[in-house]
Amino acid sequence: MNFPETIIILSHVPILLTVGYAAMLYKRLDADLKVFSWFLFLSGLIQFVSLYFWFHRWNNMPLLHLYTALGLLSLAWFYQKVLNGFISVWIIGSVTALFILFTVVNSLFIQPIMTFNSNALTIESVLITILSLFTFTFLLNDSVRQSGGHDITSLSWINSGLFIYYSSGLLIFYFGATFTRTFSSHLNQYTWILHSFFSMVMYTCFFIGLWKRSET
Amino acid sequence: METIRNLNFLDALLPMAMIIFIIGMGVILLNQHFQKNLTAQKLQQEALKAVHQNDLLRSSIFAQEEERKRIAQDLHDELGSIISIMRMHLMIMEGQSAGDSESAVPTGDAPTLVGLQNVRRLSDNALASIRSISHQLMPPQLESFGLTDTLKTLVGPIGKAGGLSIDIGDPESTRDLSWIINLALYRIIMELINNTIRHAGAGEVTISIHRDNRYVICHYKDDGKGLPEKYGGKGLGHKSIEGRVRALEGLLEMGNGPAGGFSAIIRIPLDAK
Repeated sequence: MNFPETIIILSHVPILLTVGYAAMLYKRLDADLKVFSWFLFLSGLIQFVSLYFWFHRWNNMPLLHLYTALGLLSLAWFYQKVLNGFISVWIIGSVTALFILFTVVNSLFIQPIMTFNSNALTIESVLITILSLFTFTFLLNDSVRQSGGHDITSLSWINSGLFIYYSSGLLIFYFGATFTRTFSSHLNQYTWILHSFFSMVMYTCFFIGLWKRSET
Repeated sequence: METIRNLNFLDALLPMAMIIFIIGMGVILLNQHFQKNLTAQKLQQEALKAVHQNDLLRSSIFAQEEERKRIAQDLHDELGSIISIMRMHLMIMEGQSAGDSESAVPTGDAPTLVGLQNVRRLSDNALASIRSISHQLMPPQLESFGLTDTLKTLVGPIGKAGGLSIDIGDPESTRDLSWIINLALYRIIMELINNTIRHAGAGEVTISIHRDNRYVICHYKDDGKGLPEKYGGKGLGHKSIEGRVRALEGLLEMGNGPAGGFSAIIRIPLDAK
């Protein structure tokens, strides 16, 4: 096993820890974090199945297509829960519905399921970056803080993780198809090492978010 | 070394700049939507707070009126009765003492008679005071005869004492008003008359009460010196008037009339509870 492969495998450790921790805490989590846990469970499941495929040298791209659609769906649900009452349901709902429609069209006609779905991933990153950037301003608002309906510390860590991963990953996703086409698989692995690093940072933020949750 | 040969400005960097622009615009639009909702929520909270405050004010005014009614009744029925009985006994004793003093064998004496007469006069005064206080606390005519007649009965002597001519309009418009509106208007008008007598130096007061589909409207006007030019602070009397009007979700306009003097218009919803 070479260095890039080792790093990619090691990047799954924070995922395992975070998903395990979320499963352990699930019953004690508040409504916002419960919804977020569903994203973690989905993400954990798909990442480990995808790792299994990778070990067997099977193409795991169909899983990425599925993860893109379901990932945004669960994150939109999470953000809807957090921003409830301040951002209309129809805004997040209609954007999510349009995105799901786009991923289906993209997977069927533009970037087939056996190829890298850079278009859908780029749009997903743009949407999550918008939501996470806005959520920072939302969580800093005095009225939101005084309302006491949210676990600000916990949500800030989770939102930071999402912002770091999706804003940093935007370039990788955007140029993903070009990289795959242009570079050798060896050099491509280094791109994915960078991606694994962003992923590790994101799951570490998630772990801290769950750990620093309010017990009340 | 492998290089990206296929990338150029139009293919890659321009769309990337577009993506960053979209992100920026998305955040700004969400933020504007959030600010709008936040403002709406704050306004809603303020409105709820105002309703709650009005409810509190109304309950406090109602409790105060109930208490006044109870005290007025107790004063009139209990203390008034006791003093009436005392007075009756005093009169009997006075009669006996007067009879004895005229009889051949006197049992009483003149100083006792004078003393009894003094105590009886004092009890007369006490009875009059009790009646006056209990009527001021809660005029019994208000429920029986309505607002206009009650005002006519009560403000006549007050006006004469203050050198005022008080003109109160037609009683028809207040005939079937609810007790709570009658009482509120009564208290407000009494407070306004009191202010006119104390501060305005007026010779004439005109009060007219009429109604439209939604409100009972009271116009109050005097020919005094009106409100001072820099009347910013509100006295207790004005605050009490404002509180009563607000508690019934009514409207109040106060100021100086075009021809001078003080003028107030009070609108109280007919369905006020």
